[in-house]
Amino acid sequence: MDQNQTVALLKRSMPFQTVPGEMLDAIAKLARYESYARGDVIYHQGDFADDVYIVSSGTVQHTLGIGFQATHPEKILHSGDVFGWAAVLDNQRSRLAKTVCMERTELIRINGEELINLFRASPETGDIVMSRFATMINKEYTLPEEVAGHVPHFTQVPVTMATGLTLTMFRLSQWLKSPKPYLMFTGFGILLATWYFTVEVWKLPRFADMPGLTVVMKEWFSKDPVYGLSIYTPEYYQHIWVSVRRILIAFFLATVLGVPLGLFLGWSKTFREYVFPVFETLRPIPILAWVPLAILMFQGSETPVIFLTFLASFYATALNTMLGVETIDESYSRAAACLGASKWQTFKEVIVPGAMPFMFTGLQISIGVAWFSLVAGEMVSGEFGLGYVINTSYTMVRYPTIVIGMITLGIVGYTSSALVRMAGDYMMQWRVRELALGGR
Amino acid sequence: MSAVLQKADKAEKGALKGAIRIEDVVKIYDPEGAAVMAVDHCSLDIPAGEICMIVGPSGCGKTTLLNAIAGFHSISSGKIFLDNELLCGPEKPMAQPGSDRIVVFQNGALFPWKSNLDNVAFGPLMQGKLGKKEIYDKARSMMADAGLSGTEHNFPGEVSSGLRRRVEIVRALMNEPKVLLFDEPYRALDSLTKSVMHEALLEIYYKNKVTIFFITHDLEEAIFLGHRLVIMSSRPCKPKKIIDVDIPHPRDYSVLTSTRYRQLMDETIELVHEEAKKAFSAGEKEG
Repeated sequence: MDQNQTVALLKRSMPFQTVPGEMLDAIAKLARYESYARGDVIYHQGDFADDVYIVSSGTVQHTLGIGFQATHPEKILHSGDVFGWAAVLDNQRSRLAKTVCMERTELIRINGEELINLFRASPETGDIVMSRFATMINKEYTLPEEVAGHVPHFTQVPVTMATGLTLTMFRLSQWLKSPKPYLMFTGFGILLATWYFTVEVWKLPRFADMPGLTVVMKEWFSKDPVYGLSIYTPEYYQHIWVSVRRILIAFFLATVLGVPLGLFLGWSKTFREYVFPVFETLRPIPILAWVPLAILMFQGSETPVIFLTFLASFYATALNTMLGVETIDESYSRAAACLGASKWQTFKEVIVPGAMPFMFTGLQISIGVAWFSLVAGEMVSGEFGLGYVINTSYTMVRYPTIVIGMITLGIVGYTSSALVRMAGDYMMQWRVRELALGGR
Repeated sequence: MSAVLQKADKAEKGALKGAIRIEDVVKIYDPEGAAVMAVDHCSLDIPAGEICMIVGPSGCGKTTLLNAIAGFHSISSGKIFLDNELLCGPEKPMAQPGSDRIVVFQNGALFPWKSNLDNVAFGPLMQGKLGKKEIYDKARSMMADAGLSGTEHNFPGEVSSGLRRRVEIVRALMNEPKVLLFDEPYRALDSLTKSVMHEALLEIYYKNKVTIFFITHDLEEAIFLGHRLVIMSSRPCKPKKIIDVDIPHPRDYSVLTSTRYRQLMDETIELVHEEAKKAFSAGEKEG
């Protein structure tokens, strides 16, 4: 690895990202290149901490020892990640973690003392780097601030930890340097260009009457919208909020009722004999067919819409949870029985966590169909809401507003399913890590 | 001094538990009216502390027998005793699963959603016999004894399959079982990992003398580990021949090059091959 590559690698790392060019060159001169095979242990906990490491390629498993109170002792490191920072801590000269290469790994190592000596010459830069080290130790390695506070300082003022914002900005800059955002923007670009050219430039036969890209954008971002709805009008947010609130209530009820129902359907054969045929008869009835009954059953305009939204979500959640229970390998329940678990303990410790992957797939589908049936419900009955906006804009010939409503639905819907996915990943760390090891 | 030692030795021998007696057990499956006999009048006596290797072709009904002892399946007739206590018999066709007989499953059954340490602590936690701190202390020290320190906070999915098997055995031993029931646990491992696992298993066995009921179709594994081999006939399953492995314990992998090992291999391979051919032509599904 030559000097330029080393500098480029340093620039990609959190602590050294903002270091000026000359200093980076000096640091790069300290760096030594090394490569390891899969399964190699770079260092054990308790080893003497001499060098700081930066991963160039490959993956390293970093396991902090018990007793350091890390929230997540386990971390998988990739290119650009920095570890072995015990070598720059003030009071610490032994390793806090064990690091193992999970594949062929190339990295550079920099002697901690030499690095610190270098910073003595330019204390301001040194303090910035150290404050970023502290943030990384605290936020990325989830260690308490006490540990992170042991970074040395070179000016009179002790180093204050960089704010969480620094870390967010760093991650954002990393993301912008990867190809991902550009692929994403290209995808959106193609969609918007197709829209623009078919409607406004070529005016293709069936597209000519559609609201064009420029018209919609002008309306959406106008302070004085022609049809009365844009990001500057409070009504816009009221519609969004009303829809979101309906979704929240319906999704909450569907989850609270659907998950236990699914669990019991999968778990108890007798319960299943009673309930499943009824469930399977009701499930295929389209949500729209429920509209008249929903209006008859519930007073006002709010509850029927929530009921319709709930219904679709509920089926998806319950059915997937049931499938989740059915797919649990029988050996798990048998093992639990061998180990002396009672029936109820087996339910709690095996059935519920075992069904969780399917359960969260169900919740993903559930939030999707919730939006689907919400809009259907809002079009038929109800005041306010994005479905209502789309429907009334059509009858009142406010065509650009229809598209504003549609795009907003897309954005809000995407956000809601992303939130469900994040909740799932948070609750199923074991699965996230398993998949991460599989390279997914 | 030596008298005291002898006495202690005797006491320990007397305390050895986990003798299994299988008396004339029959298991008939009757899924769609067509009765299939899986186990046919099988009788077998396994003394406490023995490693008994049940050898037979895949799908011969060995697992049915194991499931009956573990309490996962009922038996059609006959009796099974553990230390002279009836596990299952005519009045009670299905044994109650319990922590005195723990199964190590073919594909492994560590809970993937629990860390290795939580898996090991699972049994005692469920039984509520000890305090939480004591349980975790014991779990940590047992894992350390089995060379598993450093993997406590990993999930099973993060460690190698060989390591997972070891964690599973430690999870079983945490409950101080009388019997360990192995259902071809090393079937999916490559032969190099297997040989390491065999030595590790023996090492664990020498520290914790339990009865081991070990199902396999791998003769090399059977002779290397077992005190006795029980060669099973193809379905219906029935002991065809019992062979004493007179190679003294403790054993290590040098056994594989000994003449006695070769002789035993020659004696048994013909018997096993014959049964495998029968099973093959009958087209049994591997179980």
